[in-house]
Amino acid sequence: MTTSSRVASGLPLLEVLADPASSVGVAAVSIAELSAATARLAGLPGTRLADMFAAGSDPVALRLVWALDGDRRYVVTESAVAGPEYPALSDITPAAFTEECEIYEQFGIRPAGGKPLNRVAVPPQHDIQLPRLGTAPREPAADVHAPHTVGGQAFEFPFGPVRQVGVESLYYGLVTSGEEVVDVYLLTWHKHRGFEYRARGQTPQEALFYAERVEGLSAVGNGWAFAAAAEAALEVDPGPTAQTYRGIALELERLYNHAASMAALCQSCGLTVGRAAAEIALEQFLRLNARVFGHRYLFGVVAVGGCGHAPDVPALRTMLPAAYDELRRSAELLLRTNSFVDRLEATGIVTAEQAARLGLVGPVLRGSGVSTDARVDHPRGPYREHHPAVAVETTGDALARLRVMLAEATESVRLVGEFADDLGPGQSQLPEVHGQAEPGTPHSGRSGLGWAESSRGESLAWLELDRAGRISRARIRPAAVRNWRGFDDACRAQNVFTDIPIIEASFWLTVAGTAR
Amino acid sequence: MPQWFLTGLRRGVVTTHYPARREPAADDLPTPPAFRPEQLSQDRALRLAEVCPSAALAIADGDLVFDVGKCTACGRCRQAVPEAVTASGGFELATGRRQDLVKRIPILASTAR
Repeated sequence: MTTSSRVASGLPLLEVLADPASSVGVAAVSIAELSAATARLAGLPGTRLADMFAAGSDPVALRLVWALDGDRRYVVTESAVAGPEYPALSDITPAAFTEECEIYEQFGIRPAGGKPLNRVAVPPQHDIQLPRLGTAPREPAADVHAPHTVGGQAFEFPFGPVRQVGVESLYYGLVTSGEEVVDVYLLTWHKHRGFEYRARGQTPQEALFYAERVEGLSAVGNGWAFAAAAEAALEVDPGPTAQTYRGIALELERLYNHAASMAALCQSCGLTVGRAAAEIALEQFLRLNARVFGHRYLFGVVAVGGCGHAPDVPALRTMLPAAYDELRRSAELLLRTNSFVDRLEATGIVTAEQAARLGLVGPVLRGSGVSTDARVDHPRGPYREHHPAVAVETTGDALARLRVMLAEATESVRLVGEFADDLGPGQSQLPEVHGQAEPGTPHSGRSGLGWAESSRGESLAWLELDRAGRISRARIRPAAVRNWRGFDDACRAQNVFTDIPIIEASFWLTVAGTAR
Repeated sequence: MPQWFLTGLRRGVVTTHYPARREPAADDLPTPPAFRPEQLSQDRALRLAEVCPSAALAIADGDLVFDVGKCTACGRCRQAVPEAVTASGGFELATGRRQDLVKRIPILASTAR
């Protein structure tokens, strides 16, 4: 069975929706029908907008990726935009707004209706014309955010983008009356590196090297999604052994990220002894990664068509229990430390309605009571046989997100054990990597969608290959792209601005993942 | 809060003793490459210069010029030309002068292999 299962391509939407056997359906939708199609998909139960992006020029191909989690499939709608405008889809689904802004910056086409768009990805440069994926807009988007009222004693102060050592560049516009957060907006473009532009003309394997480094903390999550997109385009199956290796790496990545999030939460609450304890666990996980897969951050594990590094399974079985115990003991102590728990309770609340409306993913979504996890809703590889128990909390605050992460860590240890058992004795050989997408491979000239549940949530990728097997369009959508848009809602929910680092740590996103 | 104090006492000091003692965990880390001059043909040298993503490898005056200061130990050179490249195993690379980080490895004059 190939990783892509059956892909229904370019058919009318109703036909694609009626074909439950395809795990990825691609529907051709005319511009005239796009609003109605979007409204229909947005209204389906168990469905969310997972991504929206464009490609090409004259006409520009506009794609929306819908996750029909209830039906275990993705549906991609493709529409040709011949003129400068397309229907205002964010009026139908607010989850599309950031993408409408990004598409405007990269392709110069915009939603009809004249709604103000924000600058999201391309940094303002007055003397350098930065390269775009399509045609640059004639008028750049404003450097502003949604209108807000600064009244009474409220004032606005800028914070960042240079913050402190070891923390990513990120700019906050904070509107406060002194303590309370009246409004906050983020400018996230400072780490823009133009990955999607640079990937053009590379083979999938060459581009994967950069894809896993776009957001180093999600090298496996983003790398697996990217490799899976290439494998779907090439109709290549990496095989069960490689998929199991990937599953082990993905869960190890989840473990160390959740430990790091716990450390960051302690730091944000001023509990340095808790931070030190969490960082001991983090360091043990990173050393485990280096011993088992040859790299502390698991770079080079995923390869197109297979894996780049086989795990040292005996070392994994020896080292994992001790590292996890370190995390578990510290977590138990933290949850009994009232001064810490008090800072997290009712802080940074994201409601289920907000999370669903904005198309959030991962622990942020699950902490708000929505049970969505790509390992369960769109299983691939070892997750088809081994189903993770999805951790869900309902209060939507920072404490809920921490509880979700801790429950996921426990599940990850269980899953790693089961995956290792599947491998059996003596299976530490590297499976042959095939389908490296050398130019001229017979299946080139196609496209594919890939996904994985990274520690931050669902990571997506889409690849289009030309006749020579090289990339004509690469789209990566790490989980951070979806979840940063929920951050300002979380901060506005009756918090003081010293809560903002706590909220940021509980989201545990990266700026690199959204700036790309 | 007393629980944290007791936990800290029980856990003890975990800080590495490096450089006073060797750090075993460093054995698992990727390291910059070492080159085999006897395997370094023109074609292989060109390939190496091509695959390095951080421009640490270049060709000049019949040598492969390797700037250790630019190397990120990504391993692409070793993957591309395993005959001529091994992992050096060394990470204690600091020198007093920047130019001492630039190594030159002679390329074989013959175009055979």
